[in-house]
Parts: sequence; C-alpha cells; structure tokens
Amino acid sequence: MNALQIFEPGPQTVYTIEVAAQLAEVPRRLIVIYYKHGLVSPVTDPGRSGWYFDDEAIRTVRRIEYLRSACGLNLAGVKLVMALMDEVERLRAELRFHHRT
Amino acid sequence: MAVEFKDYYKILGVPRNASPEEIKKAFRKLARQYHPDVAKDKKGAEEKFKEINEAYEVLGDPQNRSKYDNLGADGERAAAFQGAQGRGRRSWGAPGEEGVEFHFDGTGFSDFFEQFFGRGSRFDSANEFVRPGAGSAEEASFAHRGSDFESDILVTLEEALAGSERTISLQRVDRRTGQTKTQTLKVRIPPGVHEGQPIRVAGMGEDGIGGGAAGDLYLRVRFAAHPEFSVRGSDLYYGLDLAPWEAVLGTRVIVPTLKNQVSVRIPAGTNQGRQLRIRGRGLPIGRTGRYGDLYAVIHIELPQKVTEEERKLWEKLIQISDFNPRTT
Repeated sequence: MNALQIFEPGPQTVYTIEVAAQLAEVPRRLIVIYYKHGLVSPVTDPGRSGWYFDDEAIRTVRRIEYLRSACGLNLAGVKLVMALMDEVERLRAELRFHHRT
Repeated sequence: MAVEFKDYYKILGVPRNASPEEIKKAFRKLARQYHPDVAKDKKGAEEKFKEINEAYEVLGDPQNRSKYDNLGADGERAAAFQGAQGRGRRSWGAPGEEGVEFHFDGTGFSDFFEQFFGRGSRFDSANEFVRPGAGSAEEASFAHRGSDFESDILVTLEEALAGSERTISLQRVDRRTGQTKTQTLKVRIPPGVHEGQPIRVAGMGEDGIGGGAAGDLYLRVRFAAHPEFSVRGSDLYYGLDLAPWEAVLGTRVIVPTLKNQVSVRIPAGTNQGRQLRIRGRGLPIGRTGRYGDLYAVIHIELPQKVTEEERKLWEKLIQISDFNPRTT
C-alpha cells in the first residue's frame, strides 16, 4: 500500500505548554521543573512572551522521561546524562569537522 | 529484507589502502559530479549522492573506517553484525532504495546514543516497561503510546540555506497483522535548519498498544558533506590554495560561497593555515535572520616541477634573501 501524504511539520511549529505536556505525556508542572533545572527551554522567554516549545523540546522531555522511567535515574542523574550527551555530540561534531578541513 | 553490503571503496573508486587525502579527493570529484543541484539526471543523482556521502562518512573518518575495514568484505559477517545491532530496525531512504543499511543507518552517521535510545533499546523497553498498577506488558490491557522512531535525513547545505521539500519512504510493520507496508511522505525542510535538528513527523512512529496513540518519527537533519565547504555550526570553511608568491606578495582571488562567489584580498605575507573571515556568507543562524561566516583557510601549494629557469630564480632568492625560518 502506497499512500502519498504531504507532511509539513515545521521546526517553526511551536506548542503551548499545555499542548507540549500532552505530546510529551507529562504534567505541565514537570515541564516547568525541567525548565528550572535547565534541562529544556522554551523558544521564547517565559517571563515576557509565555511558554512556547518546539519539536526539539518535545523530544527532550520524552528523553528525560525515558531516562527516569526505563533507566531509573533521578533528576540529578538525568542532568548529568544530558550534559554528557551534549558534550559528546559537540566533541563528535568537532572531530568530524577537523577530519574534513 | 536482503542485507546489502556496500563496498565503500568501490563507491568512491579508491583502493583499500587509499590515503585520507586520496579519499577526500575522490569524494570531492564525485560529489561535484552528482550534487543534486548540478546533476542532469536528478533522480539517479540523488541516490548516488547519498551513496557517495555514506561512503565518505565511513571512509573519511579514521574510527569509522577501521571499524568498517575490520568487518571485511565478507557479506555474511557484515549481515550478522548488522543483524545483532539492528533488531527491530527499519529502513529509510528515497523511494526505491532497498535493504537495511550497514549499521551506520544509511547516511553513514553513527549516532553514539542510538544504542541507548535507539530502536534496539526501545524494542526492549517496550517489553520491560511496566506502568504502575498494570499487569505484564505483554498482555497490553492498557493503552500505551507507541515508541518514537529516529532516523537521519541527509540534507545538502544548499537545502539548509533555502529550504526544500523531500520525499521519503518508510517501511513499517503493522503490529497486529505483521504486514509490511510502505508509506511515502513529503517532508518540508525549512530554511535555517541546523545539524542534528530533529524534525518531528507526528504519528509515524511505532503503533500504539491497546488503542494508544502512535509514536512519532524524528528525522535528524544531517548535512551532507560538501565538495567545497566543511561546516562548523553556522560557519563554513573553504580550503583556499595559493601559490607561494601569492602568499608572499598578496593578491586577489575569487572564493566560492554557497550561492555565489566573492572576491577576497589576500594580504602580503599570509601564512599557511591563516583563516580569512568573510562575514555573513555562512549558513543561516536558526530563525534569527542572521548568518554565520565563511572562512577561507589558506593552504600554500608548492609547484612539484620547476623549469631550469625557475630553479635558477629560486636559487637566486636563497642568495639574496636573509629570511630564515629556523632561528635557534
């Protein structure tokens, strides 16, 4: 079966915190907690224009939930893992760059 | 699904003992030829371009290359290796592309964390993860959202600059019937995407259990290696070759940009490795409207053969110049 669907997701697409909570399947307050711990960021400044999250943030929250539930990490553990992942990605990208240039 | 072992050396047209320089040269030549923007046969070129990129991704990185070399040309071993890594894998790619990729997932990228978050572990977690109060996950008497899938999508720098529309095909196995179905989607890549950025395709992940919603598909943007430029963040780097006298005396050269070209002044006494910054000619920086920069990295090329007359002139320089780089 071949169905052609036109799909236009936008990384420009942003979601309110309510929708984000639904998509990530977590309560609102958890997203706020994660934000306060620097684990996820809305695309806008919550103080000024409210909470709007993009697809990357949804994925981040889902990953956090995976680390907490399947891996049994507490928040401190999650923070550590996320920081390490970011650093590893950064180093890998740097290395790729140096092999190319 | 047939497992197809790809001979990356053959794809790039280099011998197995090729040096990194030879591999880079071979890649650049082929990439220029099959770049989607310039190729005449667009459809065929897209496939070939992907293949060339995947080959360069593996052979152009020392670690990847040695992993690949150790696997050898034994297709069966490769398949077994791939099978162990890839249970539950799907295959993505342009329509018509067959087969499950060598464990670098079709674009040549190995996502370090995929083994933890990747399909393999998701497969396991779907069986082990039990919500509080529920019975065995096998019975699925509760609604459970399907897992997310992640895959890479190869994007050219030109696409990242201007945005594009891509057609991809997914093969999915229906959870209930066990049937494999193919879905073709058009996905829009907006301008200004950055490397690694996930594009969420809602509902295209794993089917939900017990009436639960389907998971999502995340397409990670991966920049295809470009024959002229390498990328670091939003900045582009271009290797600019100069003759020795150009570096000594200074000159003006034309440097290509992503869309165009620009005339650059080379100051006198420009040393090897110096980076000349050309502002605003890099990639877009997200949605800010600003652009990164283009750096021309100076590389001084020496003539490999000199005529008698040239030799005499160089030797004269030795006599009259008091320049000595080795002062101890």
